[in-house]
Amino acid sequence: MSVADDLRPGAVRTLGRRLGERWRGRELLYQLVRKELKVRYRNSTLGFLWSMLTPALMTVVFTIIFTQIVPIEVGGPFAAFFLAGYLLWQFFQNSCQGAIHSVVGNADLVKKVYLPREVLPLSHVLAQLIHLLLALLVISPYLIWARGWQVLVHLPATLLAVALLTVFTSGVAMWLAGVNVVFRDLQELFVVMFLVWFYATPVLYPLALVRAMLGSEHLLATLLQFNPMTWFVELFRTPLYGAVVEAGNGGVTSLAPAWPGVGAIAIALAFAVVTFVGGYLVFLRRARTFAKEV
Amino acid sequence: MPDRRSLGQLTGLELDPSRPAVVVDRLTESFRLYHERPTGLKERLYRLSRSSYTEFNALEDVSFTVDHGESVAVIGHNGSGKSTLLRLLARILPPDQGTVVTNGRVASLLELGAGFHGDLTGRENIYLNGAILGLSRAEIGERFDEIVDFAGIRPLLDTAVRTYSSGLYVRLGFSIAVTVDPDILLVDEVLAVGDAEFQARSLARMRRFHDEGKTILLVSHDLDAVREMCDRAIVLEKGRISFDGDVEDGVDHYRQTIAGRATLPPTPAGRRGPVTIRDAVLNDARGGSAGQVAPSDQVVVRLALQAGRAVAACSIGVQVADESGRTLYAFVSSEQGIGVGPLAPGGTATVEVRMVAPRRAGEYTVTAFIGDATDGEVLAVAPTVSPLRVAATRRAAGNLDLAASAQVVEGPSTTVVAASTLHHDTTDASHRRS
Ligand SMILES: Nc1ncnc2c1ncn2[C@@H]1O[C@H](COP(=O)(O)OP(=O)(O)O)[C@@H](O)[C@H]1O
Ligand SMILES: [Mg+2]
Repeated sequence: MSVADDLRPGAVRTLGRRLGERWRGRELLYQLVRKELKVRYRNSTLGFLWSMLTPALMTVVFTIIFTQIVPIEVGGPFAAFFLAGYLLWQFFQNSCQGAIHSVVGNADLVKKVYLPREVLPLSHVLAQLIHLLLALLVISPYLIWARGWQVLVHLPATLLAVALLTVFTSGVAMWLAGVNVVFRDLQELFVVMFLVWFYATPVLYPLALVRAMLGSEHLLATLLQFNPMTWFVELFRTPLYGAVVEAGNGGVTSLAPAWPGVGAIAIALAFAVVTFVGGYLVFLRRARTFAKEV
Repeated sequence: MPDRRSLGQLTGLELDPSRPAVVVDRLTESFRLYHERPTGLKERLYRLSRSSYTEFNALEDVSFTVDHGESVAVIGHNGSGKSTLLRLLARILPPDQGTVVTNGRVASLLELGAGFHGDLTGRENIYLNGAILGLSRAEIGERFDEIVDFAGIRPLLDTAVRTYSSGLYVRLGFSIAVTVDPDILLVDEVLAVGDAEFQARSLARMRRFHDEGKTILLVSHDLDAVREMCDRAIVLEKGRISFDGDVEDGVDHYRQTIAGRATLPPTPAGRRGPVTIRDAVLNDARGGSAGQVAPSDQVVVRLALQAGRAVAACSIGVQVADESGRTLYAFVSSEQGIGVGPLAPGGTATVEVRMVAPRRAGEYTVTAFIGDATDGEVLAVAPTVSPLRVAATRRAAGNLDLAASAQVVEGPSTTVVAASTLHHDTTDASHRRS
């Protein structure tokens, strides 16, 4: 029996140690999120307000284009409809964009310090989450004004949608961060990939409009349902803006903010859990050799 | 099996005194050397069929056990696998073959201040870096004053670390790292940076660790510090353990391998030039092997050469390069009108080139070559005469030796015993050495 054998029980050891470290990783995660936010808002008096500039500008531009020039029917004020999807999309895209570089860009840490590496992509997701919550707070007066008090009543549903998307985004973020280490082209593909993904998600247009114009059996309408982001956006929008449904005359109309259906929640939950577990497993497998590869 | 160990002990996070601190068993670690690293899509598609890397073992069949309270030096040439070994012990790298088991809280000082963010203040970075090293907020809070005082950054606490000098940066990194209060401390050459005062203080700190019964694994090129700090040495040579035992014997063993390298590999067979270098050594001023010298010390490159055919005149060149391979200094004897020759076939000559060691501490390589005195064509090369290691003197602070001396030109002068705060800790070390 070698000395190493003497040090067993190995399985308990490894498992316990893993869990112990993941638990201790909380602190690091907290500090990294703080760092993200601080670095971002430091040196600017307006701080957080600056980061509201992009969605504000996008809303103005898209509202002008899609109400005045190429009208898109949303069954209500376009700006409110757009914001209620775009904030979510922005959270998703910014999280992934930060996460994809998080391992490669921290080569120093990865090579020289032992830490649970998943905190690197996750810190970006959490920093963006805080950002999203602040942004929601800022625009809620407008949404309440545009859509009524129902928005506030259904707040728990909004938060549930955000929570599910956070789980989903974490999975995608870890996958991207892990795969980018061995496949650096991924970050080049990122921009175009997310641009396509953006238009394939009903942020600018309601899913009901696609169904109303093309018929719900149409290939495009079916394809859109395979996009997980479709479900998250719809889930988020229902309590915040109100579901958009077919009006029967080939057009659409919007309902008041309401509770989303259990079916929609279940599908979003399934997407979130599967993506998270898958992304985490890929990341952990890759993480073993990060120190050799970055 | 009666098992009374706590969960922490079972998981190896908490120290279990009944077991050794470190057990490394038949450890092999290999790296891939990509001929051209394929990272992009095009390259990947192109290379799908043929793999374009060679694998080499940075560590090969390494086994050893370290008991609690031992302080072990890991020494070896550059590239011998020392850092790789420490990274395996810190679990940054997973072992390819064999096992690595540590028992107790491990802290590794492989790089100081890794993860510092320039835009954050010193205070914020202390919390961030502490978390990176596995400390909780409460733990950092308790140690905060200690960290700040040890690093001496109190006035700069709320300034962005971007503005810190590199010395300060390293000091802060070290101060945080040592407060982790580990059971096992891994240190990789980080003490080579910083000024003499900092080096002395950090050595003192490490000695305290040692006295507290902590386990230390130290990689250092400073053989004197190693002898002072450690009881045991493990010498690595090309990824294998070539010596494991008492530190004095280990240092001697390592010095011999340096001396061994100083003699030249024979000129590659089949390419017998008109002149061959039979021997090339780097000596210090007293004629001993110049494994390690102080800045500005005299060193002598001694070349023995033999002509393969009749040679009218040849010149001797010496080149000094730094660690990254950048040439710092090149000398050709013909520039000073000095040549060797004429030599009959089989005729021999010995040449000495005297120069001073670089003023900056560091590791250098010295290359010697013989050129044709008329057209400058290189006839023979001794690729690496020897590694030249320049260690800062302990008579002053800093990495650059400016050979300062003081003289009282007016008023009474007296001889004083060095009581300078610079060296509190190094003075008794030099006692031991003399
Ligand atoms: N990530 C890596 N990829 C490829 N080779 C590496 C990597 N890290 C270290 N090596 C190689 O492994 C060998 C041992 O390196 P190292 O442990 O750093 O040596 P030392 O610290 O003793 O100078 C060297 O030849 C080095 O080039
Ligand atoms: Mg090294």
